[in-house]
Parts: sequence; structure tokens; C-alpha cells
Amino acid sequence: MDVDRIGSVLDRVLGLMREHGLAELEVESEDLRILARKAGAAGASGEVAAVPAGEAAAAAAAPAPAGRKPVATVVEAPVVGTFYRAGAPDAAPFVEVGDRVEPGDVLCVIEAMKLMNDIKAEFAGEVVEVLAENGQAVEYGQPLLALLPSADRRMS
Amino acid sequence: MFRKVLVANRGEIALRVVAACRELGVRTVVAHSQADRDGLPARFADETVCIGPAPSRHSYLNRLAVLAAAETTGADAVHPGYGFLSERADLAEGCAAAGIAFIGPPPEVLRLLGDKARARQAMGAAGLPLVPGTEPVEDAAAAARAAPDVGYPLLVKAVGGGGGRGMRLVEAPDRLPEAFRAAVSEADAAFGDPRVYLERYLGGARHVEFQVLADGQGRTVHLGERECSVQRRQQKVIEEAPAPGLAADVRERVGGLVAGAARSVGYVNAGTFEFLVDGDGRFYFMEVNPRVQVEHGITEAVTGVDVVKSQIRIAAGEPLAVEQDDVRLAGHAVECRVNAEHPETFTPSPGAIRTLVLPGGPGIRVETAAHADHMVSPFYDSLLAKVIAHGHDRAEAVARMRRALGMMVVDGIDTNLALHLRILDDPDFLAGRLSTAFLDRFLTRQSAAAAPPGAQPTIEEAAPPPGAGS
Repeated sequence: MDVDRIGSVLDRVLGLMREHGLAELEVESEDLRILARKAGAAGASGEVAAVPAGEAAAAAAAPAPAGRKPVATVVEAPVVGTFYRAGAPDAAPFVEVGDRVEPGDVLCVIEAMKLMNDIKAEFAGEVVEVLAENGQAVEYGQPLLALLPSADRRMS
Repeated sequence: MFRKVLVANRGEIALRVVAACRELGVRTVVAHSQADRDGLPARFADETVCIGPAPSRHSYLNRLAVLAAAETTGADAVHPGYGFLSERADLAEGCAAAGIAFIGPPPEVLRLLGDKARARQAMGAAGLPLVPGTEPVEDAAAAARAAPDVGYPLLVKAVGGGGGRGMRLVEAPDRLPEAFRAAVSEADAAFGDPRVYLERYLGGARHVEFQVLADGQGRTVHLGERECSVQRRQQKVIEEAPAPGLAADVRERVGGLVAGAARSVGYVNAGTFEFLVDGDGRFYFMEVNPRVQVEHGITEAVTGVDVVKSQIRIAAGEPLAVEQDDVRLAGHAVECRVNAEHPETFTPSPGAIRTLVLPGGPGIRVETAAHADHMVSPFYDSLLAKVIAHGHDRAEAVARMRRALGMMVVDGIDTNLALHLRILDDPDFLAGRLSTAFLDRFLTRQSAAAAPPGAQPTIEEAAPPPGAGS
């Protein structure tokens, strides 16, 4: 993977984003993974994948797979509402950083119109970061937590 | 007055509502899709909230997401704009249940007017003249029995319909069974309601509509009429106020009937009563649009009444500041809808705008959320900008419009600017000889003139039924 090729792939990715008005685009091939996100879009989640902010769009090209750092997956809010880390004000949080979760485990809840929406893990992994604040209003697509998929999933 | 209004719409109307709120000193939250995150409504709002992905059905049409956004951001009112959820009784009800004001009519009024058969009945009872037609008809045989009284050509129309869907034009009795079946299945698929009724088709009629404001505290006024006959496939292209040639006493009489009809159904907030006007000047009620209308700006130009601010004030419980006698028409206003579409094929033209030069100067108002480097999204309708020209009379308004559009530049995408300029030079248009068939005839003439001898015309379309774009 040479710098020129990364550059041309990046150009294409950013062009596609502009053309289709996308806020975020992730591309993965055998030896390259690019996550590009418009500045101001979806906030902090990009940092998990070590994506620096750029002028019009943020992008990172990570060489892989040899010695490649595993990339965490961001769990995003599927609905607008208020983010809670626990089921009740005096209860312990569903998960803490470092916890291992299995598919179906509740990670957090989003309250919308008096309804509590459980946000569940879709795969096994480890909580590496909590990206939203307890009690904070979250919008659709806002990053909530970062999960590092278990090794067996990363292999597949 | 409200503290914070959530704007549940996009594009120019979202920006228009944000502007009205700013003038009223009310904070705004723009609820937007992921595709509109960087749009002007979001940029100029005090707060923004993303309610879903780009496709409307997951964002701007998602009632629960809008309600959750309003509640989560602490908005005390929701302005639905036009289109999308603006006529949905269940949104108005959801707002009421959450203690949030809906800037529009009460849910029961929305429900009544959304049922075309019940609306027709209620408006007939209130004294509005109706197009000859029937109650909902059971089946094709019942339709065939009722048809002679309605008269041909006729329309088979969906009870739950709007925007031309679930509607069939029938020229002769032998075509009725097939048209009936097609309308029923289209109505069922589009609106979840297979009921249809028959209505006389008024081919050469004009589309004239009256703007109403009602404060729910005993004051209902009309702001005169708009002529919206220049339309293609139910979509209005050019509107003007007042209607050319409409006598003041007719305006007063029909406007009075309309205000009375609005009162009789408990109408509150802004609304538009649409009519067809036949060659003898007879008015026939078509439907009520219970929301702000795209073309509200021309009424604002000639009356000086701010329709959007009035909507917000009414929903906040303020009485109307104007009485009927205060409403005076000053001059003439014309609106051209500049769309991102090819001027001849009408194919939508999404893409990036490289250069945008908007006209200004005396008597010109432009409503748009477009800007240079703006991406015209393929996910939404093609309305790019509304250019409104106001003059002392129709001739001055048209001259100003011609000058304004000639000094407007949109580089990077196709627009219908050239079509507008051609219409503005058409002798029939200039003479005010208008009907809902005007634009189709105009386009047929144009393509015939442009086609080399023996070539097929490029635009071939049956005249659509007259009716109601938004």
C-alpha cells in the first residue's frame, strides 16, 4: 500500500461522500480500512478509530492486517431521546468500561416519550469507552459506546 | 408566547419558520435528517436534533421521532411546515398528549378535512358550492348508475386521496369500470382506504384558492385569493395574487363564505380553501389544505400579513391582530417555483450547486435554503427556490419577475428557470387567460414549434385532472 494509492482511494471516498451528501463512509479492503466522517458529524465516535478531523472531512487510513490495531465499533443511538446508563437513578450502570458483553446484553437505555428503549449489544465484545453522558439528550446516530469485538469475531 | 419551537421540516419552509421565530424572539430546534445536517435551517437554528437517516419515511415522516425530539429538546411547540406530517391528526394528538402545542388546526379538524367525502359534505352544509358529485360508491355497478347524474367527463377520486393519487379521469361510460378498479386499488395501496367517489371533471377551469386565518377565539378572516392555475401534474409552477380579473365583490362574497365555512367546522390556525372556477366564473369547492402553503408568500406580499408568524401567534393563544376590514390588497404578486429539474423533460436534477446568484432589488423576495456548494439531495422534492415579485399592478410584478429570473444564476444543476421565462412571455399568460390546462397546452405548443418536421414531439402527456398540488 503506497501513499499515492491511499491518496487516490481517499479522493474517491471523499468524492462519493460529497456526491451523495453522506455524513460518514466506511470502506474496507484486504489491506486498507478507511473511515471518513464529515467534521461536526456524529462527534467523538471518530476518535475511537483514531480518526483525526480534517478541513471538509475527517479520514484515516490504517495499514493492515499485520500488526493492525483492532478497531472498536461504535454503538449509535437508533432513536432520539435521553440517554441513561442505568435502569433507575440509584441503580448501577448496565456496563462499565472494561466489561465484557454478550449479544443481547443491555448496554444502556434511551428514554423517548416515556418509553424506555433498551439498547443491546449485537455481538460479543468489550466496552472500551462510554461516549455519551448519563442523562444527556441524544440524537439519531449519536455515538453512545464503543465496543471492541471479541477476537473470534475479528477473525471472521 | 412559546419559548422554543421545534421545526419538523426541511428546506426553504424550515428556514422560513426559523426566520419567523427569530422575529418573534422564540428559540428554535430544527429536527433534521442525516442528509440535512449541514443545511441552512440547521445552521440558523438555535439547536438541532437529528431524527433519522436521509429517507423521509425514517426521518421527516417518522411521527414518533418528531415527538421524541420535541420532548427531549424541551420544545413547547411543533411547526410541521407543509407536506410530510403537516396534515397528520395523529401528530397533533401526540403533541397534545405530551403537552406540546401543534402549530396547526386541532386533530379533529385535520381528521374531518383529511376525509375528502366528509369534508365535501361539511363544506356543502356550510354553504360552499360543490362540484357535482357523489358520496362514496360501493362498486363499479353503483358507479355506473350514479355516473349519468354526475356527467362525463368525470373523475373517480379517492376518499383519502390527495396530490392526484387515487384519481382517474373518465371520458366515456365504457371506460368507467376499468378506471374504477384502478382508482380503488391505487387508493387502497396509497392511503389504506379503498373508498372512492365520483366528481364532474371541470376541464377548462381555473384553480383559485382562499387563504384563511382563524384564532379560535371568535375571529376568522380571509386574506383574499391566489390564482394557481399554472400547474403540471398537480404541481403548481406559477402562482399569483390576486387572481387576474376577479371582481372585488366576488372576492368579498366567496371570501365571506369561506370564513363562515371555516368557522362552522371549528377551524383554527392558517388554512387554504381550494376551488375550481369554470368559464362562467362559478366557484366549486375542491378541498381544504389545513397547513401553511408553499405559495403563502404572495398573500403576504399583497396583504402585509405575515402568515407564518400569525400561525405561531395563534397556536400560542394570541388573538388575531387583524379584522376583515383591515385586510386590504395592495398591488399584485407573482411567485415562480424554481425547481431543480430539466426545463423540458422535468427530470429531477440533484447534485452540487457550484455558483448561486439570487436576485434582489425592488419588489423581489426569494425564499430558499440553497447556497453555493449546496448539495441538492436526491431524497427530497426538487423545489429549489421561490421567487416572489411584487408590483403596483400585474404588469409591473411580471416585469420584475422577468428581470429577477434573468439575473438569477444556478450553476451545476438543471433548473426550470428557462421554462419560467418562456411562460412569462406567453401572450395567454400575459392576458390572464389561465386554466389548469394552460401549461400542458403551452408545453405542447412549444415542443411542436421546436420539433423538426416529421419528428415526434418530445413531450406527450394527457391533460391531468385539475386539482391540488400543495
